[in-house]
Amino acid sequence: MWTLKRFPFIWLLPAILPVALVTLYPVGHALWTSLHRVMLLFPGEPFVGLDNFVRVVTSNYFIVALENSATFTVVAAPIAVALGVALALFLQRRFLGRGIVRSIVLLPWVLPGAISAVLWTWVFHPSFGLLNGILLELGILERSVSFLASPGLAFLSVLVAHVWTQVPFAVVLTMAALAGINTETMEAAELDCRSSWKRFRYVVLPEIKAMIVVLLIYNALMAFTSYDVVYAMTGGGPGTATTLLAFQIWREGFSMYDFGAGAAVAFIVVLISALLIVAITRALPSDLFGER
Amino acid sequence: MSMRIFAAAAVVAGAAMTVPAAQAEDITLEFVVWNYSLDTIQDNIAKFEEQNPGIKVNLTDYTWPDYQDSLVLRFRGGTQTDVIYGGQDWLPAWAAAGWVAPLSSVAPAGSVDALAGDIAGFALSDVTYGGEVYGLPYYADTISFIYNAKVLDENGIDFPATWDEVMAASEALRAAGMDRPIVYEYNQELPNFFDAFVAQAYGRGGELFDDEGRAIFDDPDNAAYQHLQWLQDAFSKGLIQPEPHESNIITTMNTGQHAFTVVYNYVLAAMNNPGEQPLAGDFALGRMPGDANSTLGFAKFYAVTSTAAEDPARAEAAWKFVDFMAGAPYGVAKRWAVEKGLGFGQLPLLTDQDVITAWNDWIDMETLAAQVETAKAGMWTEWTGVWSAYFRPLLAQAIVGEATVDEVMTAGAERWNTLRDQFASR
Repeated sequence: MWTLKRFPFIWLLPAILPVALVTLYPVGHALWTSLHRVMLLFPGEPFVGLDNFVRVVTSNYFIVALENSATFTVVAAPIAVALGVALALFLQRRFLGRGIVRSIVLLPWVLPGAISAVLWTWVFHPSFGLLNGILLELGILERSVSFLASPGLAFLSVLVAHVWTQVPFAVVLTMAALAGINTETMEAAELDCRSSWKRFRYVVLPEIKAMIVVLLIYNALMAFTSYDVVYAMTGGGPGTATTLLAFQIWREGFSMYDFGAGAAVAFIVVLISALLIVAITRALPSDLFGER
Repeated sequence: MSMRIFAAAAVVAGAAMTVPAAQAEDITLEFVVWNYSLDTIQDNIAKFEEQNPGIKVNLTDYTWPDYQDSLVLRFRGGTQTDVIYGGQDWLPAWAAAGWVAPLSSVAPAGSVDALAGDIAGFALSDVTYGGEVYGLPYYADTISFIYNAKVLDENGIDFPATWDEVMAASEALRAAGMDRPIVYEYNQELPNFFDAFVAQAYGRGGELFDDEGRAIFDDPDNAAYQHLQWLQDAFSKGLIQPEPHESNIITTMNTGQHAFTVVYNYVLAAMNNPGEQPLAGDFALGRMPGDANSTLGFAKFYAVTSTAAEDPARAEAAWKFVDFMAGAPYGVAKRWAVEKGLGFGQLPLLTDQDVITAWNDWIDMETLAAQVETAKAGMWTEWTGVWSAYFRPLLAQAIVGEATVDEVMTAGAERWNTLRDQFASR
């Protein structure tokens, strides 16, 4: 007799098959590609073992791109989460025009990354840019600055744009977590403690810390795999100043026509991302997601 | 069966007999372009379809920065693609990979040779690979030195004939209050970034490669080496304003706060467009500074893919379409020239009165003719695109002073020669 308990795998097939098709197959194919010489300009696709990985890791850009990605992740993820939490706390308050402010804060979320990048390119523009305009007007600058052509400033500019795109998601999730706090607890806290910082530290933070950790992991992964903002704002430059590992996947494949090397970089990114997730979750208290 | 049902069945049967016959003749060509002036392209397609019943053209467009990637993905993924916009820098690699077909494989015998006779030398060189013509020019242009003539007049500065004079003029303008006199397209992911550099080196009379195709630009006496040093110096003196794209250059130059730039000629047409730009008419074409006054000429072209060429019916339709868009009597190329200021590779248009009249509004035809006459094609090999992708970030690093000219030129030359050797032993 056909029952759910007797043939569970068959009943799960309709769900498993599409997942396998859209995730396992591409990943498997990418792994195969990384182990073969798939250069469009050379005939054949011979097996080369780990040659692509060795070539990528010993290339002149790899260490720079790895350092850039690490810095980008370490700086962008906490800032995006901190800003998200701060804005969510602010938006919990009742004030005139709160609905409008909420909509404005969430606006970057609905914009595709490339559009956001174009927008920020104009903000940093030396002739027409808002930032140069303000700094010149205030007398902080004597002449305009080419933010995206200066290596240090270009990195900072891309980082700002990336954080801007990520903050709304942190706001939404933090607001959801805040909405879940028992109102009686909050009322009691307001009666017992006048300091808003202490209320946040001892009442609110413990209630939303699980969400903050989730956001940290999510933002670390988003920063480490960031591509669109870099592509549209600086093309990884000047030189390698804003070249991130994820951007290098594209460059190896589509600029250099070396899909084997591109797939190898992709697998290195996946490996580091997995390590990142394990490291962050291991660092958490064991009862973080447990029953209260 | 009632009469009504019988009649309906007869109509359906009749339709079934006629419709498939008509459909069998219909071919829909997949035409892929970068997204410049799509309205004009659609209008040209409509005219072609009107003249060629049974052939439909489906247009797909990508942005210029995404174009190469998108085409590579289409080719690799087996997406039906029949006619494309091609570029001179991509042709050798795409032809070697078997993605595009020689036009002789789709055109009636002799027709390509007849058209090739009308194409300017550098443009013909750009559409040719392995002795075969792979495309007909969509447009052909030179990279040119453009200046704000009014600003120079007002400041009593003569047109600079050499790069040293450009530096001196820029410093004089800077002293007179102009923040950054030179606007430079600075985007290391765009092929134009390298092309413009080559054009400037050609202006100095330099060659980047010897007769056997070896890189020679790592020699400090080489014009390209010297020019990179010049760019680094100009940037460090704060004379250069980088802009990520030519569209930004049009607006930036029209602020009147800059005097010089190096871009394609059609950008000058846009700068001098009185309907759209406040300083239209102030900008002029100058010969590329340097001892040789030469520059880089190039062609973008219509090419037919190998998959289209393998299907006789599709190949025939694809050729008809390419011939309509770029073949004699060059109506479409003329339209681009007159309406948009796009350069052309078809020499008969040089003497076309409509073209001359339209172009006289925004460019000095005498200077243009002299510039075109001295224009040279680039060195396009199977590995040029790959090498250029490697070299452009180095070039960008050197310009902003993050690497020395010697480091960049040495690394660039080594990489070129390595790729050359790899391909020789392929």
